Amino acid sequence: MPRWGMVIDLDRCIGCGACVVACQAENNVPINTEDVYHQRRAIEWIRLERYWEGEYPDIKARYIPVPCMHCQNAPCEPVCPVYATYHTSEGINMQVYNRCIGTRYCSINCQWHVRFFNFWEPKWPDSLKNQLNPNVTVRSRGVMEKCTFCIQRIVKAEHQAKLEGRQLRADEFTTACAQACPTDAIVFGDLDNPESRVARLVSTAVNERGYRLLEDLGTEPSVYYLKKVDLEAPVEEHSSH
Amino acid sequence: MRRREFLKLAATSATGAVLFTGCGSIGNGNPPSEFKIESPVWNPNDLRYGRDAWFATAAPASVGGYGIIVRVFEGRAKKVEGNPDFPINFGRSCAKAQALVQELYHPDRVGAPLRLAGQRGSGQYRAVGWDEALGEVASLIRQAPGSTLLVTEPLNGALGAIVEQFVRATGIQHASLEPDERVVLREAMRRAFGVESFPTLDLANARLLVSFSADFLHTWISPVQFARAYGAFRQGRPAVRGTYYHVGPRLSGTAANADRWLPIRPGAEGLVALSMAQVMLEEGLVEETSAVPFFQALGLTPDQLATDFAPERVAEATGLSAEQIRELARAFAEQRPSIAIAGTSAAASTNGLFNLVAVFALNYLVGSVGSEGGLILNPASPLPDELPANRSGDAYRHWVELAQQIAGGQITTVLVHRANPVYSLPPASGFRDALRGAGSVVSFSSFRDETTMLADLVLPDQTLLEQWGLVVPDPGPGYEVVAVQQPVVNPFVDSRAFGDVLIQLAAQLGQPLPWPNQEEAVRALADALRGLGRGNVTAENPRAYFVTMQAQGGWWDERARAGEARPQAATAPANPEFAGEPGQFPFYLLPFPSDSLGYGEFAHLPWLQGLPEPVSTNVWGTWVEINPRTARDIGVETGDLVRVVTPQGSAELPVYVNPAAMPDVLSVPMGQGHTAFGRYAEGRGVNPLELVAPQVERETGALAWAATRCRLELTGRRMRIARFEGQIPAFQLEEFPIVQVTRPRS
Repeated sequence: MPRWGMVIDLDRCIGCGACVVACQAENNVPINTEDVYHQRRAIEWIRLERYWEGEYPDIKARYIPVPCMHCQNAPCEPVCPVYATYHTSEGINMQVYNRCIGTRYCSINCQWHVRFFNFWEPKWPDSLKNQLNPNVTVRSRGVMEKCTFCIQRIVKAEHQAKLEGRQLRADEFTTACAQACPTDAIVFGDLDNPESRVARLVSTAVNERGYRLLEDLGTEPSVYYLKKVDLEAPVEEHSSH
Repeated sequence: MRRREFLKLAATSATGAVLFTGCGSIGNGNPPSEFKIESPVWNPNDLRYGRDAWFATAAPASVGGYGIIVRVFEGRAKKVEGNPDFPINFGRSCAKAQALVQELYHPDRVGAPLRLAGQRGSGQYRAVGWDEALGEVASLIRQAPGSTLLVTEPLNGALGAIVEQFVRATGIQHASLEPDERVVLREAMRRAFGVESFPTLDLANARLLVSFSADFLHTWISPVQFARAYGAFRQGRPAVRGTYYHVGPRLSGTAANADRWLPIRPGAEGLVALSMAQVMLEEGLVEETSAVPFFQALGLTPDQLATDFAPERVAEATGLSAEQIRELARAFAEQRPSIAIAGTSAAASTNGLFNLVAVFALNYLVGSVGSEGGLILNPASPLPDELPANRSGDAYRHWVELAQQIAGGQITTVLVHRANPVYSLPPASGFRDALRGAGSVVSFSSFRDETTMLADLVLPDQTLLEQWGLVVPDPGPGYEVVAVQQPVVNPFVDSRAFGDVLIQLAAQLGQPLPWPNQEEAVRALADALRGLGRGNVTAENPRAYFVTMQAQGGWWDERARAGEARPQAATAPANPEFAGEPGQFPFYLLPFPSDSLGYGEFAHLPWLQGLPEPVSTNVWGTWVEINPRTARDIGVETGDLVRVVTPQGSAELPVYVNPAAMPDVLSVPMGQGHTAFGRYAEGRGVNPLELVAPQVERETGALAWAATRCRLELTGRRMRIARFEGQIPAFQLEEFPIVQVTRPRS
């Protein structure tokens, strides 16, 4: 059985936002209007954060794309009173929309802020609805939504493999964000398949400069980051990985 | 309108369908013809219920014209991905290409031909039939072909051929509009290397890249192509990690990725480059022979370079220290293969051409022109030579002349396709006022943009995903490439491809073109490629050839590369000049193309409006970026409304305190300030071109939009900036930093 995971190389990421829009296009994420931003309720299953370091003229801006970490020990899961937030057998932290009653406990318990609540009914002009992905539910008002590692693509690939009576091949599909990424900074795949790119990265590059976000909380994220390389970085003490 | 509501309305009104005509724009609903999707008779013949179909086509030229594939489900385009076979992007894509589906299904698309029903500029139109509209345009051209001007974007390939033939057959005038830095870059390529097309970069094999203000990862000529190579440049090789220095007046979204950013005064890029050359030659870091083309390109002698451009002499004018210039020069000479590029604001100075030529000529010094890990020039188009391949846009100076001719009555009819001169040219050009008084204006836009709002007739074009095309992407990947565009869905509204319209008009004017429609023009050119007998496509007959080419997304020949480069004409050093007295206007005004909205041509798409600008994270608006210390000195903070005043005009903008802004540079993003162009673009922000003085690049006559000075006036009011920062509590924690950094492997 696959165990899905992701490696994001911060030394490749250029902050272009292709992943953000690709995700919105694939997953029927509502349009983030100006009002939504003013209310601080923008929904981005994968987002691009920017951090400043230093002062002018020795200043750097650093980018990091942040999707759901799909923790193996996810703090959002046990707090859901209706089992809408649960863990799949393939390691995905999943949201069942029609179980969700909108308590938002999960979002409070998520340290990464990657769970989003639908405060309003999502709205599109009717003509734009033609673009909506038929494989993805449009979430209604009052439910949480989040990154699913493009579960519809996983299900489709697994179904196809089953129809053809074979095992899933390494990297035969990928998530929308990884597919769009122009620099190949995002790699998605089966961590348990040694032939997959993601597993190879975990056994090579991740040993060298890998880390996980807020790793010390002990939630075992399935998303690994590769550190940004900087000629002027302070000499580091070896951190725990 | 929902289907159920439609059925209700149709049931209560005997003329249900009439509701959809006459309004011109499709509003919230689907156009009436689309209801035929319910009928098995009208289904596209390749429709299979419940199954995806993928079609290969190409992204717009403004994002690099690379290959895309589109997922179509039951007659609807759903998702754009990069074409994995296409040699420019190999499966990669960008946010703008992703958003093409929103253009296709945009609620404010023009749904039928329109005729002005009120005052010009009132926006009141009524729908007319295609025959009537075409007849009117034909009679306008027939009346005075010599006084008719056709405005397009630079075109090549099939549509370029149709336009060329149409212009030749009817005798009308033609001008093409593109961002002015591209005009300057084309001229720089001609002079420095003798090529007509843009260059590409072999970053995957390079060790050092120095970018002089070129926003090459986000907006500059072919960002996806460069971004893909950039990934390999950084982490694609086991033993080498490429180093990237950025030299320029703004820490752009691209510059933020640099290992080192060297802030310089606007327009000083060429000066830094010459000084680097001086250091490299003085210290014997480069061979004398490689300096020959460098000196030719700049019309300088070694003595002049040695005396006038030593780092100590120019340091102050550039804003760098002499030592910084020396270090940069040494790195550039020693860490080969190295590449130097210049663009964006470097080209938009009054000395833009010099800046570009000086920087690109640095590549001669280190032997990087056309070599592995260097600057790779692109060959000419493989299409037959009578076609206007890579036809350059006209410079700003020419547009001012055209505006005068329109105002003076020498040009009476203006036909505009896709370009939006009323928005893209600064008001100082006089184009808007001239067009308002023009005899007749016909627009072929899919949207009611600013130019279309002044039109008497609108003949809506199809969007990119609905029409045939054959285009030469510029820049290519270093060899000959042609992309095929094909309709991935049936036309969503009652629109016609521009090429088809021209062909129909030519027939009405008694000057038939060689093709019956745009599709046939594409097929004819594809057949011309087949005649070359080389490339990636092999097939027995023309039909199979075309189908193979269509499925692969294009034609390419990896062996067809550019010949040897040689400087064609010298470009003398020049200093940048700025409008406005420094005493009165203490700041430089630095507009910059928006990472998501470009020059404004993508402002109508909500995904791109809602995509944060990477450095400021601002969305849906315009702002002015100010250095923190400067902001403190004048007493403003983020969200304060200030008036930015230039010799040309003034505008109120909210302040964004940008920790990386240079103390005397105020940056303002382009792309907003639309007065039309659909619900998502209209009425937000400011177009910085309205503040820009009509300075031109001295040799090409292109608009130097980064050559204006400004001052700030406080208004005492505040405004909330919509932005991503602050949506979620995100801090670099001391113990567990979010973005962790490490030194390169030694």
